[in-house]
Amino acid sequence: MKTQDIMTSHVETITPTESTKDAAVKMRNLHIGALLVVDAGQLVGIITDRDICCKVIATGRDAVMTQVKEVMITDVTTCFDDQDITDAAKIMAERHVRRVPILHHDNSLAGLLSIDDLARTSHDLAGTVLEANRPIH
Amino acid sequence: MKVQELMTTPVEFIAPTKSLKQAARKMKELNVGYLPIVEDGKLLGTITDRDITCYAVAIGRSPDETEVQRCMTRDLATCFEDQDISEAARIMEELHIRRLPILHHDNTLAGILTVDDLARGSHDLAGAVLEAAIPIH
Repeated sequence: MKTQDIMTSHVETITPTESTKDAAVKMRNLHIGALLVVDAGQLVGIITDRDICCKVIATGRDAVMTQVKEVMITDVTTCFDDQDITDAAKIMAERHVRRVPILHHDNSLAGLLSIDDLARTSHDLAGTVLEANRPIH
Repeated sequence: MKVQELMTTPVEFIAPTKSLKQAARKMKELNVGYLPIVEDGKLLGTITDRDITCYAVAIGRSPDETEVQRCMTRDLATCFEDQDISEAARIMEELHIRRLPILHHDNTLAGILTVDDLARGSHDLAGAVLEAAIPIH
């Protein structure tokens, strides 16, 4: 089975120069924990609710003045839309991540694959990824 | 298998009158995304990194002046440490949650059982919890 068969293809994005407050509002309103950061059609990072908590609030920065690009993760692990889900799960386990953006072969964004998507197809693949993860209690 | 064989312990917690910023700092330092809120040994609620981001940043409450008890989750499901992991998994599945506070029989906090902990005992139970959980996208 390919990543495109189980990924979420409607992904929410934000631009690198928007504020982390805008990102937080978007996450709250859309009931999501991560936004893909896209600049001129290219994926440049990912930002999560945890990044905002730990890198903005914990350090006393002003969320209105702090741009997404200042706290986003830029070293993003990705997969292609035609990769097998067992490959994707292996990559998630090795890189200790719970979500991977999925790209078309022209590097444009195709979707997002989360550990929840994996679980809907295979409890065992999802369990393997969880077990490899650094725990986030 | 009993919950106490898989749960994370000892568990870090925070007092209800601490600020959201103090909670965020603690989460960052401990590399956790979740803190039980305890007063006089009694579990009052829990707070996550997402709660802090959505409440403090998205709604614009001061992280320095807002106490954690203002945005904690109060109606908590819990389990006892000697319950079977399948019962704990069923509670997590039914309530669409990924973490469950675990109590001693005197109602003091014994630990936390996360879906990651569950995966170490059973990929299938963890997968079922993830499948039922509120999506993380």
